[in-house]
Amino acid sequence: MKKGLIVLAVIVVLLVGWQMSRSRSAEETAPPATQAAVTPSETPERTAPEAGAPQYGGVLKWHEVANPPKLDVHMATDTTSARVIYCIFENLVTNSLDGQSIVPALAESWSASEDGLTWTFSLRKGVRFHKETEGGKPTENGGREVMASDWKWTFERMIRDKSPRAYFIDCIAGYEDMLEGRADEWSGIKAVDDYTLEFTLKEPFSPFLSVLAYNSFGVVPKEDIEKWGADFNFHPVGTGPFVFEEWVQDQRVTLKKNPEYWGRDENGNQLPYLDGWELVVIPDGTVAWEEFKKGNIDVMRDVPDNLVTDARSLLGDSMLEAPQPGTYYFGFNMQKEPFKSNKALRHAINYAVDRERINDLVLEGLWTPAKGVLPPSMPGYNPDLKGYSYDPERAKQLLEEAGFKDGFETTLQVNQNVRHRAVAEAVQAQVAELGIKLNVQIVDWGVHLDTLDRGETDMYRMGWVVDYLDPDNFLYVNLHSSNFGAKGNYSFYSNPEADKLMEEGRTETDPAKRIEIYQKAEQLIVDDAPWMFLFYYYNNMATQKWVNGATLPAFGNYTARVDNVWLTER
Amino acid sequence: MFSHVVRKLLQSIPVVWGVVTAVFILMAVVPGDPARLMAGQRGDPATIERIRHDLGLDLPLTQQYTKFIGELIRGDLGMSYRNNERVASAIKTRFVATIRLTMWAMLLAVAIGLTTGIISASRPNSAFDYGAMFVAVSGVSAPVFWVGLLLLLVFAYNLNWIPGIGAGNGSWKYLVLPAVTLGVRPAAIIARLTRSCMLEVMSQDYIRTARAKGVKEGVVVIKHALKNAMIPVVTIIGTSVSDLLSGAVLTESIFAWPGLGRLAVEALVNRDFPMIRGVVIVMALTFLVANLIVDISYGFFDPRVRYEGER
Repeated sequence: MKKGLIVLAVIVVLLVGWQMSRSRSAEETAPPATQAAVTPSETPERTAPEAGAPQYGGVLKWHEVANPPKLDVHMATDTTSARVIYCIFENLVTNSLDGQSIVPALAESWSASEDGLTWTFSLRKGVRFHKETEGGKPTENGGREVMASDWKWTFERMIRDKSPRAYFIDCIAGYEDMLEGRADEWSGIKAVDDYTLEFTLKEPFSPFLSVLAYNSFGVVPKEDIEKWGADFNFHPVGTGPFVFEEWVQDQRVTLKKNPEYWGRDENGNQLPYLDGWELVVIPDGTVAWEEFKKGNIDVMRDVPDNLVTDARSLLGDSMLEAPQPGTYYFGFNMQKEPFKSNKALRHAINYAVDRERINDLVLEGLWTPAKGVLPPSMPGYNPDLKGYSYDPERAKQLLEEAGFKDGFETTLQVNQNVRHRAVAEAVQAQVAELGIKLNVQIVDWGVHLDTLDRGETDMYRMGWVVDYLDPDNFLYVNLHSSNFGAKGNYSFYSNPEADKLMEEGRTETDPAKRIEIYQKAEQLIVDDAPWMFLFYYYNNMATQKWVNGATLPAFGNYTARVDNVWLTER
Repeated sequence: MFSHVVRKLLQSIPVVWGVVTAVFILMAVVPGDPARLMAGQRGDPATIERIRHDLGLDLPLTQQYTKFIGELIRGDLGMSYRNNERVASAIKTRFVATIRLTMWAMLLAVAIGLTTGIISASRPNSAFDYGAMFVAVSGVSAPVFWVGLLLLLVFAYNLNWIPGIGAGNGSWKYLVLPAVTLGVRPAAIIARLTRSCMLEVMSQDYIRTARAKGVKEGVVVIKHALKNAMIPVVTIIGTSVSDLLSGAVLTESIFAWPGLGRLAVEALVNRDFPMIRGVVIVMALTFLVANLIVDISYGFFDPRVRYEGER
């Protein structure tokens, strides 16, 4: 017994000692949390703190629910990583705030040849790669200017290092030769001179400009990639308004102001205003909201649906909300019966669901009931589209027409998520009124994708939020017959007429004509009903009263600009 | 004793090998392709194939297995599929955080559980006993996420006594709430078990003899009764380690604690095979070590327990 007590006492002493030494060393090395936030800016162009005028200084704390898996711009495929990437890296072009046009970024201007095959970009002069990183260490590139040859190298690196997003630009001539190792150089990309970059496409591809605004296509310095190899993921170097400082896994990513950033505000003041930006990882939404209310976080994106009312009353105009260009749907497997050859059945189910009611009951009334494929914030959205509204009588009639007068049984596969489960159960209850027994099967994301790729499900849940703001990214990707399975068409939907229109839309260069083509294609698809069109996405961004200049772009909250945000006294 | 420990450690090698092999086979059988997941929601089949080739996932399963075991023997746990982080270093930082959390939770649980159990047993059916056992039953029944959120709301957000979440700069203040949250359940279990074991021992003849000899009640309880009641309690403490390690997943998520539980969940969701294997190996080893310690401690509490080779 004595020995037992001694062992216990020794364990306690060791633990206390360990804990105390940790606390002490942490207190010695880490500055008080508040110090960083009030450190005066070293920027010479410090603006006088007058009402309404931007002020320099401060660190913006931004909440994310997950640790970003990738900070290598070419390797990331998720929005959390993209959030950080938008601060460190830059593209040739970017999306306008309203999402209706493409605006210059590192390219000042561009032109396309008449046949739509050659695209020439004039590069902005004086754009430099980050000179210092991670606590003032010099980068390998030394802060040199970005040249057209860097862009060529960047795109080639995407293929060489197997970027999962390189195929987005497979329209550029020579893609296959690079991919299959037959060429060392990408023949379709040419550095005409230091500031002129030229792309030659295999065939006209109208969404090309939009694609280049996608977050994977940021320029990288060859020297730093060669130094770090795959570890570039942990030592990212770009040209953006912020420089990478530190990444504490599962806790935070810290960025510091890039003092040599090229960007200026409309009055010629240098951007960014902030001294730094910090991503704070808090997995639980409710806890994150409490931290926000306490003032420990400055910006929280995606306030959980059930807390939005609370956020609105607390923040007023600082609670930014907007539809997001995305569509939430339950797809039918068009390769399997009963949905394969039974349009009336697909129609019946579309009419059987009361989207308004589900929205009110399950989604706090925040989402928008969907009529078709393209959401309202997308170019090409058709307000006159003939879609489906709740009509149980019509649904009953169609069900009878479809040969299922007494209902039938089928399975809906949903990936694990509270929201998806709630929507699925609401739909399950509504179609049950028509005698349809909808079994809801919940699986994890990996299993979901696997079974969808192979077309094994009857019905499945899916959502699509655009990669680039062009109807092509919705219609061609998800519904063209060349994209069956993993490439996006999980319904295995095929309609030669719609296919033809979607192909035309890709090559047509007249924007007005393109919209017309896509609207025609969308109507055909909606009439065929390969999906149960459910909702258009919603997103929000809660900002503290002391955060100024923050905007919620049409493209989505994770793309919000940070370089023009400034902080005022709390 | 030393040879006993060595033998136990040697015995654990096949156990770890078995666990690792089982995980390897499970991962191969369960649907979900890491390369596919790396490509995102939609992926180009040609690119996915190239990624699979790079990861060696296109090799026959036996070849993948021998390669993995070979690397494991050389002490190489490989690289995370998800972000190229070295598995060993990723686990190291998280393991330290999780062990810190679980050790403190365990210590709290043992201190509170034992004390409550002893007092309850020495005053059976008293107001303290009823009150303590009511709290203990609640502690066993309360879900971790509920306790965690409640503690956070009260102590961090309403009373503003301690910081709410994260590991901060390593200060002990950040440890209080998650450690209490995690410790509640084992504390309740230990309290209830200590009480019932103590009550059973207290009715034994030798306790009556001790009392008859005029030994003070405090000495009777601590020296004569507690020591004999400890065997089942220590066993439970050992198995609680695995409960704590798995319970840490929820606690870590609520408190944004950068531990092994969160790493494990992320790895599973993303089919990050090397990371999953690494975490399983570390968890299995921790569990084995905890059990070994329990095993050895039996000897302290019950002198009749002898290990082979000892006289």
